[in-house]
Amino acid sequence: MKTSFLRLKGSQQFRLRLLLSTVSVTPIVIEEIRVDDSSPGLKPHEVSFLRLIEEISDDCSVEINETGTKLRYKPGILVGGRNLVHECGLSRSIGYFLEPLIVLGLFGKKALSITLKGITNGHKDPCIDTFQTTTFHILKHFGVPAGLELKIISRGSPPEGGGEVCLKVPIIQNSLSAVNLVDEGMVKRIRGIAYTTRVSPEMVHRMRYAARGILNRLLPDVNIRDGHLSAPLSGRSPGYGISLVAETTSGCFIFAEASACFSRDGDAEDMETSDEKLAPMLPEDIGIQAASLLLEEIKQGGVVDSTHQVKWVMTHGLLNGHILLGH
Amino acid sequence: MAVGSEEQTHKTHRSRQSGPSARKKEKSDKQKRGIANEKHNPKAFAFRSSVKAKRLQSHASEKEQRRLHLPVIDRSTGEPAPYVVVVHGPPKVGKSLLIKSLVKHYTKHNLSDVRGPITIVSGKQRRVQFVECPNDVNGMIDAAKFADLALLLIDGSYGFEMETFEFLNILQVHGFPRVMGVLTHLDKFKDVKKLRKTKQRLKHRFWTEIYDGAKLFYLSGLIHGKYPKREIHNLARFISVMKFHPLSWRTSHPYILVDRFEDVTPPERVHADNKCDRNITLYGYLRGCNLKKGTKVHIAGVGDCQLDSVTALADPCPLPSVAKKKGLREKEKLFYAPMSDLGDLLYDKDAVYININDHMVQFSKVDGDDGAATNKGRGRDVGEDLVKTLQKTKYSINEKLEQSFINLFSRKPSISSEVQFNSNNTMKNESENFYFQSENGEESTSSLEGDDVEQANGTEASNKETMQDGSETEGNESDESDDESNKSSEGDEGSAKALNSDVKEVTEFQNGRLRRRAVFASDEGQGSDKDDVDSDLSVDSDDPEETENDWKSEDQTDDGMGNASKWKETLVSRAVSRQTTNLMQLVYGKHSSKSINTVQESLGSGDSDDSEDEEFFKPKESSDKKSSERMDVDNFNAEDCSKIGADQVLRDDWSNQDIIETIRDRFVTGDWAKAARRGQEVEGSGDEDAAIYGDFEDLETGEEYDGQETLNLEGDAKVSKGSDLADEERRLKKLALRAKFDAQYDESEPMDEETDGKKDPQFHRNGGQDGGFLDKLKEEIELQKQRNLAELKDLDDVTRLEMEGFRTGSYLRLEVHGIQYEMVEHFDPCHPILVGGIGLGEENVGYMQVRLKRHRWYKKVLKTRDPVIVSIGWRRYQTMPVYAIEDRNGRHRMLKYTPEHMHCVAMFWGPLAPPNAGVVAFQNLSENQDLFRITATAVVSEFNHAARIVKKIKLVGYPYKIFKNTAFIKDMFTSALEVARFEGASIRTVSGIRGQVKKAVKAGQGKDGSARCTFEDKILMSDIVFLRAWTQVDVPRFFNPVTSALQPRDRAWKGMKTVGELRKEHNLPVALNKDSLYKPIERKPKKFNPLKIPTALQAALPFASKPKDTPKQKRQSLESLRAVVMEPHERKVHALVQHLQLIRSEKIKRRKLKNEEKRKAFEAKKAKDEQLSQKRQREDRKQRYLKEDKQKKQTRQRLE
Repeated sequence: MKTSFLRLKGSQQFRLRLLLSTVSVTPIVIEEIRVDDSSPGLKPHEVSFLRLIEEISDDCSVEINETGTKLRYKPGILVGGRNLVHECGLSRSIGYFLEPLIVLGLFGKKALSITLKGITNGHKDPCIDTFQTTTFHILKHFGVPAGLELKIISRGSPPEGGGEVCLKVPIIQNSLSAVNLVDEGMVKRIRGIAYTTRVSPEMVHRMRYAARGILNRLLPDVNIRDGHLSAPLSGRSPGYGISLVAETTSGCFIFAEASACFSRDGDAEDMETSDEKLAPMLPEDIGIQAASLLLEEIKQGGVVDSTHQVKWVMTHGLLNGHILLGH
Repeated sequence: MAVGSEEQTHKTHRSRQSGPSARKKEKSDKQKRGIANEKHNPKAFAFRSSVKAKRLQSHASEKEQRRLHLPVIDRSTGEPAPYVVVVHGPPKVGKSLLIKSLVKHYTKHNLSDVRGPITIVSGKQRRVQFVECPNDVNGMIDAAKFADLALLLIDGSYGFEMETFEFLNILQVHGFPRVMGVLTHLDKFKDVKKLRKTKQRLKHRFWTEIYDGAKLFYLSGLIHGKYPKREIHNLARFISVMKFHPLSWRTSHPYILVDRFEDVTPPERVHADNKCDRNITLYGYLRGCNLKKGTKVHIAGVGDCQLDSVTALADPCPLPSVAKKKGLREKEKLFYAPMSDLGDLLYDKDAVYININDHMVQFSKVDGDDGAATNKGRGRDVGEDLVKTLQKTKYSINEKLEQSFINLFSRKPSISSEVQFNSNNTMKNESENFYFQSENGEESTSSLEGDDVEQANGTEASNKETMQDGSETEGNESDESDDESNKSSEGDEGSAKALNSDVKEVTEFQNGRLRRRAVFASDEGQGSDKDDVDSDLSVDSDDPEETENDWKSEDQTDDGMGNASKWKETLVSRAVSRQTTNLMQLVYGKHSSKSINTVQESLGSGDSDDSEDEEFFKPKESSDKKSSERMDVDNFNAEDCSKIGADQVLRDDWSNQDIIETIRDRFVTGDWAKAARRGQEVEGSGDEDAAIYGDFEDLETGEEYDGQETLNLEGDAKVSKGSDLADEERRLKKLALRAKFDAQYDESEPMDEETDGKKDPQFHRNGGQDGGFLDKLKEEIELQKQRNLAELKDLDDVTRLEMEGFRTGSYLRLEVHGIQYEMVEHFDPCHPILVGGIGLGEENVGYMQVRLKRHRWYKKVLKTRDPVIVSIGWRRYQTMPVYAIEDRNGRHRMLKYTPEHMHCVAMFWGPLAPPNAGVVAFQNLSENQDLFRITATAVVSEFNHAARIVKKIKLVGYPYKIFKNTAFIKDMFTSALEVARFEGASIRTVSGIRGQVKKAVKAGQGKDGSARCTFEDKILMSDIVFLRAWTQVDVPRFFNPVTSALQPRDRAWKGMKTVGELRKEHNLPVALNKDSLYKPIERKPKKFNPLKIPTALQAALPFASKPKDTPKQKRQSLESLRAVVMEPHERKVHALVQHLQLIRSEKIKRRKLKNEEKRKAFEAKKAKDEQLSQKRQREDRKQRYLKEDKQKKQTRQRLE
């Protein structure tokens, strides 16, 4: 039997395309992946993501041509599984994998439990705390059954990583329910986590102090937790950061984060993605930045923050619910 | 009546003095007068025990709960497609007659022949489609898949036949739609009592099969070759009030019951190669769920195919317009049965064909009156006006030609508007026609001037404009106007015909083909067939653009925005002003119809080659470069990152108190009143009132909140908008409530009709308490539905079509290319075609695991890997299942045969179906089988890409060297590699000593594949060692679609044969494995060697341990071998003793014989005595009974 492939171009929205292709059982071909780039073809994290999909699905086929500029993907059946382990690599953080993985897990045959290893708090992707504090709460709106959990075993900052998280995703029995969420409500409390890896726990206090300095002017109920982990559980690279969540009276969660890390010069060379050399920011600046970002998000309005918009819109594809997004 | 008698004496009425009716009357009389109504003692029926009361109550509530069902989400909108009533029964039971009678009842038309589905408007809210179920299994399976109601006809004089039960089983598997039995041939019974008994018997048998109280209808006999009117009326009433519940498979898949079928292959291709692949069009109502773009379909009996184009046509059999009146008027009693060659109108995508009896219509000019004579009754039609104007001719044909030429081409036809195109098309036709006439040199009567043509078109257009102001039914109207134009040309032709007869034939050929087309492809004459194809060709060749229009919906006008015509401009501008912005448009840009067309084209090409190029949401990439700030959309290698705000530069300095104050109201510490206002305004923007949305957005993006006063200003406006919003919400709720009420009302209605009307009041009584949750759920569903509707309503039609697909209930025309010619060749209208949409992932093939049970009426058990024909979802295919059973540890163990009375697991290869889909299996589809044909029923439990069925395997080996607990085993494995695979596996000897495989022996030592094993004890050389393992059984990757539509219908479809059938055909014996035969087991007694204790040891042993039982000597002793010579005296004595012994034995023998004789005689005597005594006893008994009887009688008499 001949299968017809959907043809797509470029590496944009790579995860989303694969996700939708898998959920809708539509074979796809992606061509011209970074053909004009100095390093053409798929990136390591994209390949790693493909491996991840292969791991949790049954009989899917992935073909990549020699240069890596063309990908042929035929989805199989999502089966889930237990005690899986996946090495996420160091080019992107675990958040990159978690975002689609949660949705894929929901549509599987069996519940998924998987350990992901890599960078937990990166720059480009939402950090681990996001999922715990925000994403899972948002997904509850859609009627995701209980059992969705994420355990941080150890943290790892870029560039060396060394973090490890354990994700458990239940399966949805019937279907997700449509959501009608237009009331953004008022912010009633702000929670947060300030973490450090391989630096002094004093940084936590400094970040916290700075963030509260701004937030307390608007709201007294601000509580930022200490997320410091002891040396063996804090990966291989130093780094620190803070993530903040504002919860509103209507049950919406708005999220912002900021982090700093020390990138080694040697590593920065072979990582094409980190083109800008990051000089580590002061903890006070990090705290202020995170608080400001949060306020910015709040000001923009909407029931979700900008990071989660994509997920919302996507999950809404089937449901035809009604949500209000900021712009 | 006698004429003479003035007064006829009638027999007076004599009221009953006794009996039940008298008693009843008495009772009612008493009640009327209010006396003597017996009062019950209220205490008599009260509960005595609280435990019992509680138990009863809980029982009642449990029953109540069991009755409740979760509401099913009904996603269909608009008016439903006609309900399909399948009439099924064994041959010669009166199926066609029933349909004919029903059609006659509804429409007052006499059907000569029942072919294909017949659609009838049966009421103001309801249409029904009657289909006769073909008699073969394939037809029955398909019919079961599309039936909403099955009428099972049963020959009452004969009883049930297997077909009925087969069909019932198929129905049950495929969702079980409504079923009603109809008993016919009841006039064969002469005896009333027998008839009643038979009815009773059949009814109860019917009930056991369906449910107690299932409706069984009786048709008592024939009157004038038809069923009695009254009974048909009752049956129609039952059909019209029947409530249909949604079936899960059908609500999730679109499907179409084809009521019109045409071959639209270009005729030259057919001429060149009669067996070329054909293009066909299929017409029918869309049922189930919405047909999304790009959905593949399965044509039952043909296979999967891609739809080349789908067009929504105007409903050929629409429901009557809603008016406050009772019943249907005669005019509205429409029906539509193109395959039966019935009905007057035929709608196509681009034309309407009208069947007009010649005596009914006269459009040709009658001298004197201006056409008023032709139809006096009603007002003149627009179409007739047109014809009349055509007939008013002034100018000669040459002038007309010139002018018409100029006029025609000065107006460039726009491509996108189908309406426009159609009118052009007809114009062309007309002009062609005139050309032809002028060529013939005839004096044309219908000499028509160009002005007139234009004028006609102008009126037509204006006509259309007025109509389209009413919106809603544009498609319909465009078609109507179209048919008017057709009519006009027909009238024209008719006039031509009237005048010169020799032109007539040719005119027929040119133009007349459009009207007199017979729909029925296979039954048509050769000539008309050719004409048919010809017309299609002309349509095709006329406009290559036409196919591009296909995905457009019934509302074509909105697509044609770029249209040049003046009259539309206002419409367009109005539409633009009314157009709302939605999220999708904001993100992906405005949808242009062009993109659809390109997608469409690619869809068409996608079938032939792999390079299919369809995209769901085409981002507005290179086409418009205006989104400069959104560079990442254009850059298709943009980085995939969900975090937008990561590198965002902070716009505000949030340490500034003023800036912080601007969002103070977003926090609970702020002003709640203001915040509430804000919430409203935001909601307003979220709602469908898009104008508000736009305003709001402008405000927020354009300018930041720079001060309090803007907010205040806006705030006032927002309050009013907020109230608007509240209104909207209320309206939605009201709609939902109303729909809910309707649903409930509808539900209760058939309950009254059916026998369980008893439950109904109960339902209403405690509806408040039990249905609290249920009601809420229903309301929620309804609200969501209304919300979705509202959401979709403000999309423009193209987008809506893209998002939603074609809605259920619409009449669709599907065009499919590249169908095998056999389908057209062997098309039989009596076998309805089912077109079912394929869901996501259902076109993939894989292993399916089903829970299967052999049908208890099927005579044989099923053998693993014997091909069976299964019907799953829309498909039918032959496949080779492997049966298995699940062991306790979750292992699937292969079975050679299905269990006799149990479910088992079957695994087979084929196109996947979702879990919980029903499966019905057949071994043979042929007709002439007296057995029950359904072999098994099953339900899909899951699908996989790998089969996980195992079977047991025993590896046998023999020790060749034994050490203490270690032994070397040979013959178990064939190579060292194999041993390595089984290292650590547990093994066992026959005597039960367990062990383990350790390692392969080194190469060169022992036989290849020998292994070192250890045991828990020392084994013997005579032991046999087993290794028990499980090996994977591979399920054959074979499936063969049943292509019953691609062969003559009267021939049974032949697929792969079973091994048994092949053996029978080739007269081969069953292969025999000698090793498998049972042989008598020979067990030789085991011989043990005697225990030998060395003499030295024996000597040392104490007496107790010394061997005492000295064994018997093997050789005879010398003594026994020695010869004995007797003395003469001794010899004498010996002889005497021998003699005496002989005499004694002889005596004993004789005595024995004597005794035997005696015993026999005694037994014979005894038997005789026995007989005698029995006889005597019997007589005694008889006497006694007689006596008793007599006594009884006497006593009774005495008592009386």
